[in-house]
Amino acid sequence: MEVIIIIALTGIAIMMAGALNKPGFSLWIAIAGLMLAFILNFRLWNTNLHLFNDMIVYDNFAVVFNALIIVSSALVFLLFHSHYSPWEKHLDEIAALLIFACTSMMLMTSYGNLVVLFIGIETMSICLYVLAGSRKYELPSNEAALKYFLLGSFATGVMLFGIALIYGASGSFDFHGITSYLTSTGNQTSSMFSIGLLLLTVGLLFKIAAVPFHFWAPDVYEGSPTVITTFMGSTVKIAGVAALYRLYAYHFAAIKPIWATTIMIVSALSFFAAVLMALPQKRFKRLLAYSGISHAGFLLMAVLAMNQYAASALLLYAASYSLATIAAFTVLVEVIEVRWDDELSVFKGMGAKNKFLAFALIVAMLSMAGIPPFSGFMAKFMMFSAVAESGYIVLVVFGVIASAISLVYYLKPITLILSKDESNSTNIKLSWEVIIVLVVTLTLTLIFGIFPGLLTGLL
Amino acid sequence: MSSESLILFFIVAVVLVGGALIFSSLVPAKSFNPAKSEPYECGIPTQGKTWLQFNVGYYLFAILFLVFDVETVFLFPWAVIMKTVGMAAFIEIMIFFLILGLGLLYAWKKHALIWE
Repeated sequence: MEVIIIIALTGIAIMMAGALNKPGFSLWIAIAGLMLAFILNFRLWNTNLHLFNDMIVYDNFAVVFNALIIVSSALVFLLFHSHYSPWEKHLDEIAALLIFACTSMMLMTSYGNLVVLFIGIETMSICLYVLAGSRKYELPSNEAALKYFLLGSFATGVMLFGIALIYGASGSFDFHGITSYLTSTGNQTSSMFSIGLLLLTVGLLFKIAAVPFHFWAPDVYEGSPTVITTFMGSTVKIAGVAALYRLYAYHFAAIKPIWATTIMIVSALSFFAAVLMALPQKRFKRLLAYSGISHAGFLLMAVLAMNQYAASALLLYAASYSLATIAAFTVLVEVIEVRWDDELSVFKGMGAKNKFLAFALIVAMLSMAGIPPFSGFMAKFMMFSAVAESGYIVLVVFGVIASAISLVYYLKPITLILSKDESNSTNIKLSWEVIIVLVVTLTLTLIFGIFPGLLTGLL
Repeated sequence: MSSESLILFFIVAVVLVGGALIFSSLVPAKSFNPAKSEPYECGIPTQGKTWLQFNVGYYLFAILFLVFDVETVFLFPWAVIMKTVGMAAFIEIMIFFLILGLGLLYAWKKHALIWE
């Protein structure tokens, strides 16, 4: 519990520091708060706390996913500090919103009650709507914020309707109450409950941008400031999938026949359709958006697997995906800063002058594509074997085909980087924050690729 | 899975909404009067354009007012159970006040309370 309180206090402190005209402290307050939370988080290992009448269940699943969320938020925060210029208005508010979004994501991984899940998702979404529009005077940023807000609030409404129907059928928001309702009916759900579950699923799938609820993702990712896109692409997606996993694998495991087909179709559609849609993309941000959609499909596989390997496969996949995404976006942020463009051609000949950036992007792309020795390979391997263990062989076959196709667009930037054409390459000077972010993400990508047991042994 | 009921649910949703719209456009007696499409302003004919830009200060004041409205909503149930819960309830509501007060302090420092 202290973890969530400390991170919320960090956000308040940053906001107050900004209001009291003490700018420049936000990075240090945030890093101190996040580090403290990270340490305290691991003190809760194996304690399995049930807080506030089971509103919050802080088990080991919550501990590891919150650690992952804290680390990737901290990396995004470093990136934010390096790339939002100090003369920009409302800098501390943006920083505080990032931290508040992080707080609400911790609720999403550790809820024991549908209301807490809703509060977590809604707080996170409101922070993100504002963050997407945080470059007030840029038209694309405004457009992204408006699109995200309209579609996102609609999805929230759908989700809330679903929660209301589940409450109507079972008479409880609490998962103990819902479970005892399910056992009392012998896992034969009433149609009201099924419809509620379906609507709740739709809302959650929207938040992680799974096909067919993905239409907002490329536009919003493209319009938002790139640092915020990094946040949406990495941390937000992990939190959403963790929430989905907890909902299905923990609380609705008994009624798997009801939801398994839906999740399987959504998962297959996500990775397959997104891979095909990513192929013709010319802009790197849109490409990463579609790649994020396809990874959402792969992450959903863990929800489906539901055996003893599923949670650790999900953890490894989420970690490697978020690290690779953060690394790729960091390189993109640096390039955009110089070239003001995210067409794929800006990478042409980058390898000659910016060796470190080029190396980082290559590692990120290879990890996302699932090439050994990077962690993406082990993650995909674990995920596929976990799903195959549960008997979804067809899904695995489709997954393998999709990730083979995905190589085409992951290798495209790499060939451009390594091309000899040096006409438009400029030397990019990296700030210390960016160097830290890249070193941490690349090292962890390599470490988790060679020793996946460090993560998979946890759950 | 009771998919029949699911389909039925969506059919009912579509029929209810669509039916209400169609029904309400078919049934009523129609009469046209240009005054009907004008914005209502106390019965007096409108002067000038109604698409005015409002001062954003109205919204700020409304939101700040709302914060303390919501505070009152929480205060009443708290006051009812304060005696039975005891000191813990008092401390918790004080933390709640502190957070709200910080919000007001923030708005104050950002000059939201000055009418420009």
